[in-house]
Amino acid sequence: MDLSLAIFVQIIAAVLLIIALMVGNAVVMVYMERKVAGFIQRRPGPYEVGPWGTLQAVCDSMKLLAKQLYRPGNVDLILYYLAPITAFFPVLLLFLAIPFGPWLTPLPVNDGIVLILAFAGLGVLSNLLAGWASNNKYSLLGAARAVSQTVAYEIPMILALLAVVLQSGSMDLKRITDQQGQWPWEWNIVLQPLAFFIYLVSLVGETNRAPFDLPEAESELTAGFHTEYSGMGFALFFLSEYANMLLVSFVAAVFFLGGYKGPFADGFWWLFLKAYAVMFFMVWIRWTFPRVRFDQLLNINWKWLLPLGLINLWLTAIIVKIAL
Amino acid sequence: MTGCNLGFINPLSVLENPGTMAGDFYSRNFEKKAVPGRIILNLGPQHPSTHGVLRVLCELDGEYVARCEPVLGYLHRMHEKMGEVKTPWQFLPNLGRIDYLHPLAWNWAFVGAAEKLAGLTVPPRAEWLRLIGCELNRVGSHLLWWGAFVMDLGGFTPILYAFEEREKINDILQIITGSRLTMSNFRFGGVCADGDSRFFRLIQEFIPYLRERLKMYKGLVTDNVILRRRLEGIGPIDVDMCQRYGATGPILRAAGSPRDTRQDYPYGVYDQVDFPIPTGPVNDSFGRYLVRLVEIETSLSIVEQALKAIPEGPIMMEKAPKVTWKLPAGESYMAVEGARGQICVHLVSDGGQTPYRVKLRAPGFSNLSLFAEAAQGTILADAIAILGSLDLVIPEVDR
Amino acid sequence: MRDPEKWLSSWRNLGALTLSRHDLAKEGLTVSAFLPPKSLLKAAQELKQARFSLLDVSVLEAAEGFVVTYHFDSLDGPARLALRVLAPKKKPVAPSLWSIFQGAEWHERESADFYGLIFENNPNPIPLLLPDPEEFTSPPPLRKTTPSSIAKLGLLAQAEVLDPDFGELLGLANSPNAQGGSE
Repeated sequence: MDLSLAIFVQIIAAVLLIIALMVGNAVVMVYMERKVAGFIQRRPGPYEVGPWGTLQAVCDSMKLLAKQLYRPGNVDLILYYLAPITAFFPVLLLFLAIPFGPWLTPLPVNDGIVLILAFAGLGVLSNLLAGWASNNKYSLLGAARAVSQTVAYEIPMILALLAVVLQSGSMDLKRITDQQGQWPWEWNIVLQPLAFFIYLVSLVGETNRAPFDLPEAESELTAGFHTEYSGMGFALFFLSEYANMLLVSFVAAVFFLGGYKGPFADGFWWLFLKAYAVMFFMVWIRWTFPRVRFDQLLNINWKWLLPLGLINLWLTAIIVKIAL
Repeated sequence: MTGCNLGFINPLSVLENPGTMAGDFYSRNFEKKAVPGRIILNLGPQHPSTHGVLRVLCELDGEYVARCEPVLGYLHRMHEKMGEVKTPWQFLPNLGRIDYLHPLAWNWAFVGAAEKLAGLTVPPRAEWLRLIGCELNRVGSHLLWWGAFVMDLGGFTPILYAFEEREKINDILQIITGSRLTMSNFRFGGVCADGDSRFFRLIQEFIPYLRERLKMYKGLVTDNVILRRRLEGIGPIDVDMCQRYGATGPILRAAGSPRDTRQDYPYGVYDQVDFPIPTGPVNDSFGRYLVRLVEIETSLSIVEQALKAIPEGPIMMEKAPKVTWKLPAGESYMAVEGARGQICVHLVSDGGQTPYRVKLRAPGFSNLSLFAEAAQGTILADAIAILGSLDLVIPEVDR
Repeated sequence: MRDPEKWLSSWRNLGALTLSRHDLAKEGLTVSAFLPPKSLLKAAQELKQARFSLLDVSVLEAAEGFVVTYHFDSLDGPARLALRVLAPKKKPVAPSLWSIFQGAEWHERESADFYGLIFENNPNPIPLLLPDPEEFTSPPPLRKTTPSSIAKLGLLAQAEVLDPDFGELLGLANSPNAQGGSE
């Protein structure tokens, strides 16, 4: 890939669009999260600001922007301010490899999934930094939990994705999409239901969402690693959480749900629809289930998801070998 | 920007020289026995899961609670002193403020103690109205506990369902008490307001409605596999521990001892209603959870019996005590089964304008005192679950 | 073992100062006794073996001293009873029941807050409900300026006074089943 001016401009434009996407996603997700939560809890949710409360998320972000950045005493200044930034920026890069449409990939790379998994691992670093630098014991416990949880849940996640990679013989997200058909029965979820299930569970664990939100378990650790962050520091964590959710949902859509392909007309709308369906699922279970305990969380991973993922991978490998 | 540290600091370094650690009298006292290298975590007084302003000092070994000690007094209002400087009539509204979830039981304990001391007899309709109010109040208290407990475990939704039900109870009790939180409709020698036809009709509609909802709760929450894993086998509290700490109420019943003040020391008209005392199949947090859910149904059936049995008649005794009423000299001890256990009022009078001594025995106080032992050696998340399963109302604990 | 008479005879053997029978329906107690502080632990131990639990520790300031009342309830059925100890004003010390009933720790700390009593052998004798003693320097809040006598409070109205000195201290007649001067 020669870095000509055109590609450079393309990347810059893509990054700008992705930032817009991340912020837009956060706005949509805040609204969706609150409305869905309200629906589940039999209350209206936000309805004062704008039509049907749609401007609530805008107001929330204005509030976060205007808030004082309160910093507790004795924090480790560099790490304390670095943490939200390291949470936010790696996620940016990850969207580059997602094929949004047939001719719409910000940065076409052959090994897109490797890029995504490599940079997704950086996210936990910010949690660790935030927890360590805050000089708060809740944050420290939250950071310790975040690290062990994210490290643990990455493995079954990779195993699940690897099964699809083996089956399609490529790490290029575009090729994986292209191998799936337009209709739901032509998608990888039909061939790899177990991998999809493993991926679905571990994506909840990977993004630290309830019922696996142990790093920020509010009834135990108040807010976990971001206890001491206010204003935009908190907002960046918040943005990156939703961006992470969007990313893993995109990956789920690309790997298992046919990506941008869909009935009648392919295009980015199908990808977004599928990704938001996965996100809706995450919101749904968040407001339905109690939180698991930390040792149970790791037990689910090491005793169930990991062996299942390995078995699934072996079976896939054997079938692929026989079939070819 | 003064005092900030630009270098890499170690949050654990304070453990090596505990003298530098900021803290108050209680935390310094707690640190004296701390093992070096363990984290001392200060849960509360503003913490999402301490139900108000309880503070628990924990010594953590990793995520395990090696030792903990509740620190009380953040909601202490010295009701016992107010009882001594106010006349019984003036003190009466305070009772609803002690335990805001089951105020009518506290009303009953104090009013009952005064009636015992003065030898007043309450007309039957008033006794039945007291019973209906108290039992509906108990249902509301258990419902709110249920929601808050599941919230402690990380399930956000059930508390809103519980509030919806509790609102209906408040609507009903509002008719006879005039308020929705710190209710106080008991008077020395009766109750202040009679229930009208709407009151009884609403109760009659509410009972089948809640029974229907309880079935949904069972499917939604009780049978949830995550909830069960979080509760089963966590925080066993046996009869011996209850005996040593004086724990009563659902905790004692879940431990397997069928003690209920309503049947042991029948007050009011509880000897005329027939109800079973649920005892827990297991003495862990899940057992306590189940006992409380069964108690909701028990209370509903008591209310149903009361609706059939309630007679017509006056709601205040004749020659009821006036505002200038003086308690005769002597002492009396009145126990009432509250939602959290045995509520006792020890009333001593020397015949003066105000009671000489009002000792309020809060069940939550004794129930919380066993927490330090029950939580020892558990994971932090389990300690929170145990704390929730004790059903604490901190204003009642601190009084 | 919920029979109140058995407890009366047991306390008599322990050297009780007074014994009272109460009407459970009217006063909420079956029997009560004033014990000398040294035999309180022994009596509490017996109660524990008979499956009684400590309900509360209720302190009362009378003219003669602090009446510390320990209320007990049975785990087997209705049998509420009370043990009392008189802590003199000059040396307000009462024994701690913590070694037998661990729940007593908090009740005693609370009473110590309110009355300035000292409970011997309490494992953690710091304020429970009141703040840091360095901040909170006012006298114990429930102390009375003009305390009434035990006789006036009618605590020993139907008491059997076993110890003549004690009866004299409280101004009670020195005979069994004497009426306390409650008027």
